[in-house]
Amino acid sequence: MVEENSCVAVYDNHLQAEEAVRQLLEQGFAADKLSIVGKGYQREEHPIGFYNTGERMKFWGAQGAFWGGLWGLLLGAAFFWVPGLGTVVIAGPLVSALVTALEGAAVVGGLSALGAALYSIGIPRDSIIRYETAIKSDHYLLIVHGDQSQVEQAHEVLAGGDARDVTIHLS
Amino acid sequence: MNPASAFFDESIRCLKRSPLFRGLAPSAIADMVSRCRRETWKRRRQLPMEETWKRFHILLSGRVRLSRGNPENGRMITLFLLGPGEPFCIFSLLDGKPHEVMLETLDDVSLLSLPMNEARQWLDAHPEFNRQLLPYLGEQMCSLAGLASDLALHDTETRLARLILRHVDSDSPQQHVTPRLINDLSHESLAEMIGSVRVVVNRQLQHWKQEGIVDAHRGHLEVEALQELVRRAEELPHKVPA
Repeated sequence: MVEENSCVAVYDNHLQAEEAVRQLLEQGFAADKLSIVGKGYQREEHPIGFYNTGERMKFWGAQGAFWGGLWGLLLGAAFFWVPGLGTVVIAGPLVSALVTALEGAAVVGGLSALGAALYSIGIPRDSIIRYETAIKSDHYLLIVHGDQSQVEQAHEVLAGGDARDVTIHLS
Repeated sequence: MNPASAFFDESIRCLKRSPLFRGLAPSAIADMVSRCRRETWKRRRQLPMEETWKRFHILLSGRVRLSRGNPENGRMITLFLLGPGEPFCIFSLLDGKPHEVMLETLDDVSLLSLPMNEARQWLDAHPEFNRQLLPYLGEQMCSLAGLASDLALHDTETRLARLILRHVDSDSPQQHVTPRLINDLSHESLAEMIGSVRVVVNRQLQHWKQEGIVDAHRGHLEVEALQELVRRAEELPHKVPA
């Protein structure tokens, strides 16, 4: 069960998101409390896919190194095609929330599968719509899960960085 | 909040609609928003007294109530019901002290939040805000005085009528009006706003319903005969600002 408190940061590109993950890990945040969501960047000259080597899932595409690295680091890896959003790549515990939402048919009215996963971790509808728009626009979401003090500490770290937006969601 | 945030302009629009911030220069409002962080809280979140005075909050959407309770008998009295554009806790902002109050969200809410000392710095940088703050504080004091006098001087029927009238435009030529902020509250929540209990409020609303004064059912309240409700209130109460 993913905790229902989170700090969500929106980044313009994967390099900024990667740097933010590095900063959080340096500050002592546990890797299993971090999730990243982005759109699998899709152009005709960049076929994308994913595959297994041993126990690790790997990403094949324009940002293979980015997603491959995160999938090795964070808890959970997923690649989905979501109607309305296109290809969505996720790393971290949000994957289990999304799978639970799909398996339990707990898709909330008017929300995509990704929206339902975000809703299940305590993010309200109006914020979800903004986050889905951000993902459609090739931005990246970094989500820190935890108790209130952990997400507030995460906000302190992330608000000082390159994030376009950082919001705390408390249950 | 980063001005590049998708929520930045939305927050500014909300504050511009607020009676407390409406007359301020856009730069002063933008300065406030840029100092804040955005938070969302789920419905039924409760904040104990120790937490309500550490940070200054401005509601962007949803409602919160500030209450006091008696742990001996479990009874509650709602002191303030706040809506979008309203701040809390304004008294702690002014005197830097905790106040005996419990906060609970009635909806999923979004809000701006900043440390009290940062809010005071903003106040120092924008003294023109006092022109809005003082009338707002006056409204709050009148509201508390109204609650105290209602509790001491009026029966439940009058108190309930006056509560509803505080949340409608009683000058409206329409007889059918929907109260703002309180129209979907439970009877228990309404009771906590007038120092009564659920069964008494429920009985009174059913009585008025039979008389055609209100239409009340679970989670929904409409006034059907405004002038009759005004008559039941004996005098017009002080208004909750729109």
